[in-house]
Amino acid sequence: MAPEGKDTALLAGLRVLDLADEKACFCSKLLADIGAEVIKVERPGGDAARWVGPFQNNTSHPEKSLSFWHNNTNKLGISLNLESKEGRRIFLSLARQADVVVETFPPEYLSNFKLNYEVLSRENPRLILASVTGFGQTGPYKEYKSSDIAASALGGQMYVCGAPGAPPLRPYGQHSYYIASLFAAVGILIALHERNLSDRGQHIDISLQEAVVATLEHVMVRYFFEKVVPRRQGNLHWTNSACISPCKDGYILITFNREWETLVDLLDTEGMAADLKEERWREEAYRRQHVGHIIGVLADWTNTHTTADLFELGQLLRFPWAPVCSVGEVFNSPQLRARSFFIPVDHPEISASFTYCGAPYKFSGSYRNKWRRAPLIGEHNAQVYYEELGLLPEELAKLSSENVI
Amino acid sequence: MDENVLQGIRVLDFTWLLAGPYATRILADFGAEVIKVQSRKTTTGTESNVTGYFNTWNRNKLSITIDMTHPESKELVLNLVKISDVVIENFTPRVMANWGLSYETLKETKPDIIMASISGMGQTGPWRDFAALGPTIQALSGITYLTSFNRGSPVGIGYSYADPVTGLFAALAILAALGYRTRTGRGQYIDMSEYEAMCSLLGPTILDYSVNYNLAVPRGNTSEYMPASPHGCYKCLGDDKWCVIAVFTEEEWHALCRTMGDPTWAKQEKFSSLLRRLEHQEELDEFLGQWTSNYTPEEVMDMLQEAGVVSGVVSNAVDLANDPQLKSRGFFIQLHHPVLGNTNSDGTPIRLSRTPARYRRPAPLLGQHNRYVYKDLLGLSEEQLRQYIEKGIIS
Repeated sequence: MAPEGKDTALLAGLRVLDLADEKACFCSKLLADIGAEVIKVERPGGDAARWVGPFQNNTSHPEKSLSFWHNNTNKLGISLNLESKEGRRIFLSLARQADVVVETFPPEYLSNFKLNYEVLSRENPRLILASVTGFGQTGPYKEYKSSDIAASALGGQMYVCGAPGAPPLRPYGQHSYYIASLFAAVGILIALHERNLSDRGQHIDISLQEAVVATLEHVMVRYFFEKVVPRRQGNLHWTNSACISPCKDGYILITFNREWETLVDLLDTEGMAADLKEERWREEAYRRQHVGHIIGVLADWTNTHTTADLFELGQLLRFPWAPVCSVGEVFNSPQLRARSFFIPVDHPEISASFTYCGAPYKFSGSYRNKWRRAPLIGEHNAQVYYEELGLLPEELAKLSSENVI
Repeated sequence: MDENVLQGIRVLDFTWLLAGPYATRILADFGAEVIKVQSRKTTTGTESNVTGYFNTWNRNKLSITIDMTHPESKELVLNLVKISDVVIENFTPRVMANWGLSYETLKETKPDIIMASISGMGQTGPWRDFAALGPTIQALSGITYLTSFNRGSPVGIGYSYADPVTGLFAALAILAALGYRTRTGRGQYIDMSEYEAMCSLLGPTILDYSVNYNLAVPRGNTSEYMPASPHGCYKCLGDDKWCVIAVFTEEEWHALCRTMGDPTWAKQEKFSSLLRRLEHQEELDEFLGQWTSNYTPEEVMDMLQEAGVVSGVVSNAVDLANDPQLKSRGFFIQLHHPVLGNTNSDGTPIRLSRTPARYRRPAPLLGQHNRYVYKDLLGLSEEQLRQYIEKGIIS
């Protein structure tokens, strides 16, 4: 049976209310991109995340935030003042028809407006509430303010990024927000699976700090099992068997462990192996101890080649080598292009179409034909308030004049 | 049912290293029966069942052994596929096909099977067979170039970040496919690219290029998407001790000044607005660093957070292990392993109020569950099992 119609979307029929700011709007984007119906609920005038850059034409404007564009594809958008009595009432009627609510307010905020999990679940026992905050809903830091750099620092990411002797370095981008959003989205799907059995929702508590710690790969493993405290070592891999080396026209990531003997032969044919042919270098432990010398010899060699040549050569030999790419090179990558990773998204209100990053997975049984750009402020007010909630135009006008919508 | 959310979901897990095991660990933490398919020949180095690395990523899973190079192994695996819901692997694209275990074959055996293939580049495209580790993907994605204090020297991330990121996306994809199967009865094939996973985390930066032709450059610790000043990492009292401070609003700036005791330098005209502070960032950082160097990072964080300013300790592994917040939430967990003794690892950040993750058992020993899986689940007789062992198929 060929999949067809609305049903082909993986998460067809799932309704999500998105109250999240920049910390977790990526969470419901992940769900929207695979077919959930996500309604972004913004305060009148638009969410704060609309002021996160970069901006189209480099001009700050709430409808031109490229972060907002990226993180809100395929969502509907309505405006609503949750802090007003009427706004709360309207939100509760939306929540009664929803499966999931995602929010990023400080832990006590929703309680103050009687919209906390207990209240919501009384209205809709099947509702799943996902809360993403800097430190989680409990613990001594729960009221602390957070941002990506704080989560990166307190999550152990920064301490191991950067050069020895230089200050710790935050990875480019807002990674704690993305990772926390991924954990939240996975948690939501687990809770949905469980709901099929129990017919009940639950509260998901995600901490930016924990999300970062959970993605540190070797860092805590080496501490717990070897009592090693990993430190910054620039672009030298923690195993001391990979680094970034300069080329004629840029930089290449090279590995030199399992590749050792082939690599030394390669350098030797070009007369650039220096002393690396000597017996002592065949020992892995010795190489790790004297890695500085190896890096020097390799740099002399890579400097005589282009990144493209070494990428090709390395991959021919099945070495996991790769050029250190700029965003332009990413955008023009033949691999990403061949897989149609980038997708055109129409912006009809400005008669334009822009190229976005797509999703990193391809599903054989279901797909989404066309991506919709992020909603404009209050773009779907009429659709949601008239059609879904059955409000009358005069009611909507009144709510709008009272600044509820 | 409250105890094991994903109870009844059986995952045949061919993954190794990190991206794949990270995905199946999430499923196992919530009760899926994850059967790790191993071979005595390949379980060396970090893949050895008794390393800390293996133990960390494979808790809550079962282990069986099978020598896939033996001609009779395929049939045995297909019998396992018949009683599984999900098959997941993260080899380079040719491996499963060479074993005769392509999605088409699996589907013939079990029509509603969900198969997930994770690879560096994805199953198609000119680079599909390229070798890739986490750092390879990070270099290709742009994150390595962009993570630095200056353009001339890429630094990148000090660990294989791309692997857990890909594992998360893979877990999401598998769970979505399971939900779809519940609704429609249909399984499917998932082709997951680690390269694309990393690129999608740089979405706004890539859009900035595709929309504005702006080529992003490294920005050190400054705030790349939202104007903030000060915004950075500052030296504190002690050896390699640092804190971060982030100021987005004037209110926060004044709170910071008050906490520092309103020093005269902070009253200078050149620091009087966000725009002016951004213009004199270096000088501002110098002043601020002089102030922070009188305190421990914990002291700075407590003082500033009290005043409503974003601040945090730059934590190393020891700090994390003793972090009061992580401790109070019981983030690190302990499991007793028969060879390694008491082992510590990170718990899951996915905290479900009613059906939390359960840490039921440490990572399995090699082939520890051969009897359970082959006899109890698959229904092989003692005699059949003995024959497979004698032939070296199960070892």
